[in-house]
Amino acid sequence: MLRVGVVGVGTMGRTHAAAYTRLPNAQLVGFYDMATEAAQRTASQFGVKAFDSYGALLQEVDIVDICTPTPTHLELVVKAAEAGKHILCEKPLGRTLQQCEQMIEAASKAGVTLMPAQVLRFFPEFKQARDLVLAGAVGTPVAIRTRRGGPYPRAANDWYADFEQSGGPILDMVIHDFDWLRWTFGEAERVFAKALTFKGLDHIDYALITLRLRSGAIAHVEANWADPGGFKVDFEIAGDAGMIAFDSRHATPLTVAKQDAGGGGGGVAVPESPLAEDPYFLEIQHFVDSVAAGQPPSITAEDGMKAVEIALAAIESVQTGKVVRLGGGA
Amino acid sequence: MAVRIGMMSFAHMHAYSYAHCVKMLESEGRAQLVGVADHDPERGKQAAQQYDTRFFESYEDLLDAGVDAVIVCPENVRHRPLTEMAAQAGKHVLCEKPLATSKADGRAMIEACKAHSVQLMTAFPCRFSPSYIRLKQMVQAGELGEVLAIRGTNRGRNPGGWFIVPELSGGGAVIDHTVHVTDLCRDLLGSEVVEVYAEISNGFCHGDFDDTGMLTLTFANDVFATLDSSWSRPKVFPTWGDVTLQVVGTKGLAYMDMFAQNSTLYDDREMRITLQHWGSNIDYGLVSAFVESVATGKPVPITGEDGLAAAEVAFAAYESAKRGEPVRLPLPE
Ligand SMILES: NC(=O)c1ccc[n+]([C@@H]2O[C@H](COP(=O)([O-])OP(=O)(O)OC[C@H]3O[C@@H](n4cnc5c(N)ncnc54)[C@H](O)[C@@H]3O)[C@@H](O)[C@H]2O)c1
Repeated sequence: MLRVGVVGVGTMGRTHAAAYTRLPNAQLVGFYDMATEAAQRTASQFGVKAFDSYGALLQEVDIVDICTPTPTHLELVVKAAEAGKHILCEKPLGRTLQQCEQMIEAASKAGVTLMPAQVLRFFPEFKQARDLVLAGAVGTPVAIRTRRGGPYPRAANDWYADFEQSGGPILDMVIHDFDWLRWTFGEAERVFAKALTFKGLDHIDYALITLRLRSGAIAHVEANWADPGGFKVDFEIAGDAGMIAFDSRHATPLTVAKQDAGGGGGGVAVPESPLAEDPYFLEIQHFVDSVAAGQPPSITAEDGMKAVEIALAAIESVQTGKVVRLGGGA
Repeated sequence: MAVRIGMMSFAHMHAYSYAHCVKMLESEGRAQLVGVADHDPERGKQAAQQYDTRFFESYEDLLDAGVDAVIVCPENVRHRPLTEMAAQAGKHVLCEKPLATSKADGRAMIEACKAHSVQLMTAFPCRFSPSYIRLKQMVQAGELGEVLAIRGTNRGRNPGGWFIVPELSGGGAVIDHTVHVTDLCRDLLGSEVVEVYAEISNGFCHGDFDDTGMLTLTFANDVFATLDSSWSRPKVFPTWGDVTLQVVGTKGLAYMDMFAQNSTLYDDREMRITLQHWGSNIDYGLVSAFVESVATGKPVPITGEDGLAAAEVAFAAYESAKRGEPVRLPLPE
């Protein structure tokens, strides 16, 4: 039985915690969050402990799951590694490449597992598309488009709106797509991007990113924090022998509209896409099973860093107006 | 008075739709299809028969037959000679897009029409789409606030024939599919493109022509846009392609999928699923506007300059892909 402590009781912390409670080979021991009241509230909801320091949490667990804002990952990961704990860290792994390198070094020195939570690999539509591509279903991929986003994200202390912390939608959000693109189509060669990130707008951000992959394929990635019409995801993989297309707006097997949504007015239709196993559960199950078996998980810390590298290159392109070439090693 | 119109070549398939629109205007008493000439006489004769009009052995004969205006739809590289010939004969010109395959050709066409006091209109029918007109109204009324960014697509399939012979077409997918959305963006923003970056490939068809284009445009007013101009629709795709614009503003976001007014046909005999479009005929709006300008002398709504500005973005895209970096506009004359 692996004992687990979750750091950060925001959206992601609670999502991850729920997954551990369903696993037979893991036990959620408790939470740590610097917002102590929130930590206590969440802990009592889950019937577990709220630790009053990170050090106290580290003493009672085998696994640390880090769900705090991006720039805090480094210190938390390094401390966990030094304490000999296995680590699941939310994406993006680090705010900078140096941070990622330090985390990787700390984990390898301590001989612990460090897995970045690139959860898209557990979303069935993305996993299936990759399987189809690798099976040759579209021939050679030529033009790939992804789109992700919706309203501007809101969280504790509005930290997403602080570029220094979140890196904006390019680093925070479409890092998912960058990871999936690498995983499915291979390394990126160069990137050109435009974004609203540095235009001083109030809670609107948007980026359009073009990647040239080493395979020769061209990928277009949209990062959208400017769509009040709700969160949407789509992708399209066009190859020389066919195409795969997915649009979350059309993948809604269940839609409910209530006559009275409270307050007298009619309600809007709420679409749902229920799954037997949600992707976050599958991600955490894979991580825990890997740790339990002493096997490396399928997503490495280097994968997490490579995705950060693409995102930072795109941000550099936005800032310089130039094409940014991606570094050597595979 | 009905405007008398001649068709100069049916090399571009849009000529058939334009001729059909002239016939519609004929039934309204606003236009008259005088005849057809084509450097491929077989094609010309067939088209003349199809539209119940005369076939002329030469373009000169057609221009001598008392036409007021011509619709020019040959291969792209022939836009210039045919437009110049028509201008010299004093005929107004509606020219298929892209206006020209080089800046010098486009400039010469504009000059020729000016010198002979005839109007030159570029065939950008998307401007007459009711969805686009509605979108433009909303943008102009400020309903989206200040426009910040646009994501556009104009995807299709390799049309084959002369479209994939660069000596006749001036390129491949990029010259074919860059100009419509570029024109809509220019029209919507009232601003010119000042920089183009493009990733281009021939990955779909593996030919000596480009079939994939992913362009990034920056406008003088700082708005940025991307445009996918690829021939990326599979053979079994249920329709020819698309024209889409997603407009991001400070007060909201609008998404237009111009040809999304369809019903789906499931056809067992053909073993195909196709979209059956029932939206408005935008080519009719285009030809009707041209005929009205010729009849009244009022300026055409889409000029030769508009056509050249959009084509220049395609030229810059090729230049960008060659150099591997963004290219500033205007390009040298
Ligand atoms: N995989 C996904 O789909 C996904 C979705 C959203 C967020 N995320 C990632 O998850 C992480 C957390 O995002 P969120 O939306 O849950 O944020 P959140 O703001 O909802 O929660 C973060 C919590 O961390 C706490 N915290 C901040 N600094 C801390 C520190 N140094 N020590 C302890 N606690 C600290 C805050 O008090 C807060 O309760 C981020 O890296 C984010 O990018 C991933």
